[in-house]
Amino acid sequence: MLNYALRRILGMIPTLLVISAVCFLVIKLQPGSFTDQYLEDPRFTRETAEAISRQLGLDQPAIVQYGRWLWGVVTRFDFGYSFLQNRPVVSVIGDLLGWTVFLSLITLLFSWLIAVPLGLYTAFNRHGVAASIANFFGYVGLAIPDFLAALLLVALVLQFGGTNVGGLFSPAYIDAPWSWAKVVDLLNHLWIPVLALGLEGVAGLMRQMRASTLDVLTQDYIRTARAKGLPQHRVIWRHAVRNAINPLISLAGLSLPSLISGTIIVSIVLSLPTIGPLLYDSLVNKDQYTALTLLMLSAFLLLVGNLLADLALAWADPRVRYT
Amino acid sequence: MPKYVQIKPGLVSLVTLALLGGALAAPKKVTGYSNLGITDGKPGGTYTLVLGDSPQSLNYYGVIDNNLGLVAQQLFDGLVEFNYANYKIEPALAESWTVSPDGKVYTFKLRQGVRWSDGQPLTADDVVFTYKNIIMNPEARAGDAGNFKLDGKDVTISKVDANTVRFTLPRAAPAFLLQQRYFIMPRHKLLKFSQEGGAKPADINNAWPSNVAESEVVGTGPFRLGNYTAGQKVSLVKNPNYWKVDAKGTKLPYLNGLDFLIIRDPQAQVAQFLAGNIDQLNITGAQFPDIKGREVAGAPFKVIRSTALFGSPPFIAYNFDAKDPALAKVFSDVRFRRAMQQALNRPRIIDTVYNGLASLPGHGVAPANREWYVNTTRQLGTFDLAAAGRALDALGLRDTNGDGVREISRGKNLEFDLTYATDSSVYPAMATILQNDFGKIGVKVNLRGILAKNLLSTGLSGDWEAILHAFGDQPDPELRKPIWQPGGALYYWHRSLQPAQDGGTPNVARMFPWEKEIYNIFDDAATTTDRSKRKALYTRWQLLFAQNLPVTPIAKPENIGAISNKYGNYIYNLGVIPGYNPVPLVYQK
Repeated sequence: MLNYALRRILGMIPTLLVISAVCFLVIKLQPGSFTDQYLEDPRFTRETAEAISRQLGLDQPAIVQYGRWLWGVVTRFDFGYSFLQNRPVVSVIGDLLGWTVFLSLITLLFSWLIAVPLGLYTAFNRHGVAASIANFFGYVGLAIPDFLAALLLVALVLQFGGTNVGGLFSPAYIDAPWSWAKVVDLLNHLWIPVLALGLEGVAGLMRQMRASTLDVLTQDYIRTARAKGLPQHRVIWRHAVRNAINPLISLAGLSLPSLISGTIIVSIVLSLPTIGPLLYDSLVNKDQYTALTLLMLSAFLLLVGNLLADLALAWADPRVRYT
Repeated sequence: MPKYVQIKPGLVSLVTLALLGGALAAPKKVTGYSNLGITDGKPGGTYTLVLGDSPQSLNYYGVIDNNLGLVAQQLFDGLVEFNYANYKIEPALAESWTVSPDGKVYTFKLRQGVRWSDGQPLTADDVVFTYKNIIMNPEARAGDAGNFKLDGKDVTISKVDANTVRFTLPRAAPAFLLQQRYFIMPRHKLLKFSQEGGAKPADINNAWPSNVAESEVVGTGPFRLGNYTAGQKVSLVKNPNYWKVDAKGTKLPYLNGLDFLIIRDPQAQVAQFLAGNIDQLNITGAQFPDIKGREVAGAPFKVIRSTALFGSPPFIAYNFDAKDPALAKVFSDVRFRRAMQQALNRPRIIDTVYNGLASLPGHGVAPANREWYVNTTRQLGTFDLAAAGRALDALGLRDTNGDGVREISRGKNLEFDLTYATDSSVYPAMATILQNDFGKIGVKVNLRGILAKNLLSTGLSGDWEAILHAFGDQPDPELRKPIWQPGGALYYWHRSLQPAQDGGTPNVARMFPWEKEIYNIFDDAATTTDRSKRKALYTRWQLLFAQNLPVTPIAKPENIGAISNKYGNYIYNLGVIPGYNPVPLVYQK
């Protein structure tokens, strides 16, 4: 097992290297350069554009720029410099990482807590009215994009005279020190993004859980267990759920990269301080090292998520073992 | 040396008074705006505005960023500033100034008793430091070194005494005074990042990053930095040392605090405004009906319309150097551009795209700009598809094969791409209207959507046939010379005129006669100090522009602002215009 994990981890290095080269190439293939967008500003001259290009090393060939970045990463763990913010990329990402992870975890928790029981319920009560209603809402949740859900929630809150229509805090609490009132204010704002982001996840997970449970329920070992006269709850929790949950573990692993790119539009619509909009901005503005670092982080999380999912699967499912 | 005080007569008494005051503190009295609805306010309260994104740094000269610009405007001042009502230049940190008769020496006397927000006195050293190490520093990203080289020679700045600085120009430059609205920065805080303090020229860009300690950011403006929460909010607090007072002598600003909420999405900004979390918001014509409707229904805010001097009027440009030689030939023919102007339905665009909140554009100068604008409305022509069709017929561009599209040559349709921004509130609708109307006279337009951010770089690259774009109007045409002077760095619809090397002489031989005339006008006007002569030159330019249409202007949008009823003394917030900041007058009722 340890051997397997080690091999997988070492295998990531060449993969990431190839990914970084491809990402850099794609960023470079976009038309225009970082400095172009400023030329419309009356206080900006062409000489300044050239000076900036020189300061940022943009006058060097692309391969040199990439090489220097890579060398910095390997030798100093330096992920380059954000052109837009005049600061190292790592500190720019660091500013937003806390809220991003917090929101993602809360949303993940929310969607799992709702979706797994609902999926089981609809599987065991396939033809009941409640299950049909839950299924219907599942479809609706799948069909509505998260940003639209966010906009609808905001419109609803506005309609009822609420003021919590975006952000994580009321203006007065943003830079206030932590207090109970601030926590309450946070909760008052938090439910909108969690609902908007979580809803889509709930619907998908619920369908997945339902399908795999149904699949498991027709298996021989369930029939055997029932025939042995095991009580219903043991059949369900010991045999059905444990086997049905396997595909969800893989799904959870794959959802890690959504930390970065999953919340772009919702974060813009709800003005949330997460990493998503930063990725968007850096790509649009050709802030190349920030974009590259974020894309790499995303790829890295995907690989790690896969690895974790595989390890978790091996632990959860006795049929899957690595030697 | 005889001195000529070049300020408006109404201010002479104020300035004289200030001079008599000598070493006494001389705050500036802000009066004379009763026609803008300005009254005496009362101190106190907090006012919340919106930023489209987090400021990228707090060093105004270190990044080019409009969001920082909006904040910096409240933190810093320049030597001179605009009058809120008529855009004339009046004293700010400089209490008075003199210009030598040959227009080459500008001497600024600083206002007595001005202090930085940390209590240090403002001196001529700060001004010289700011100009030499920052503004004239070619490595400062948002510096402006280019404006301090005239005909290849440097403008020099020197300290005369503790309160006086002098600029010596290699030649007369009448727009020079208008430009000295640059924010003055504190030497005592920035010295260590400057060449004077032993750092490299480019190091100035690293001063005051967005995670700087709040107390480091020191200015002379109405507010100082209170707190910056990345991605969420910038809070400013009143600067007790501010140098302006109202008519009664009450210290400005009235407000105790000024908050900027960071909200990227325009819809979300509107939602926050409607929820009462934002007190003032600039809106577009598209958002107007909804918000005005709520006002009429009794919502606690007002929507205010005003004609715009600054701001970008959209135009359509045809590429004189299009890759397809047949198109290039047609596009550079003025008769074609005039014919197409008749197919441009300006009233419909103003009605449907701007909801009626726009007016006919000028040619390079906003109609609201009484100083320079010449009425060229008649040259805009009227929308007349039949006449446009006849004019194209007369050019030999006829539909010979009956497919509804004119032929540019045998078997080749008159067809071109129109590049426009898809992520803008006005361009997509405008592009569709143009495509539709042009199609009716047998000119086939293919829409090519790109991001607004890439419009200019696409324009400059030459890889386009027709483009919808906008360049801002400014109070003095001299400030937009790179755009409107043929061969200028931004005169991209005729790129073959641009000099082989930056700063070189443009390709005058390739200019059309009218372009050559405009080229000379801009060169002459840049050195003419006589106002009436400059006016005559720019009048001629606007007429040439209107007749020859280097680009075809479409409309001039109005300014629309929404403001909560809780606040008084609101004047439309122009955005980042250094030297125009009416926020100190705003008060909470």
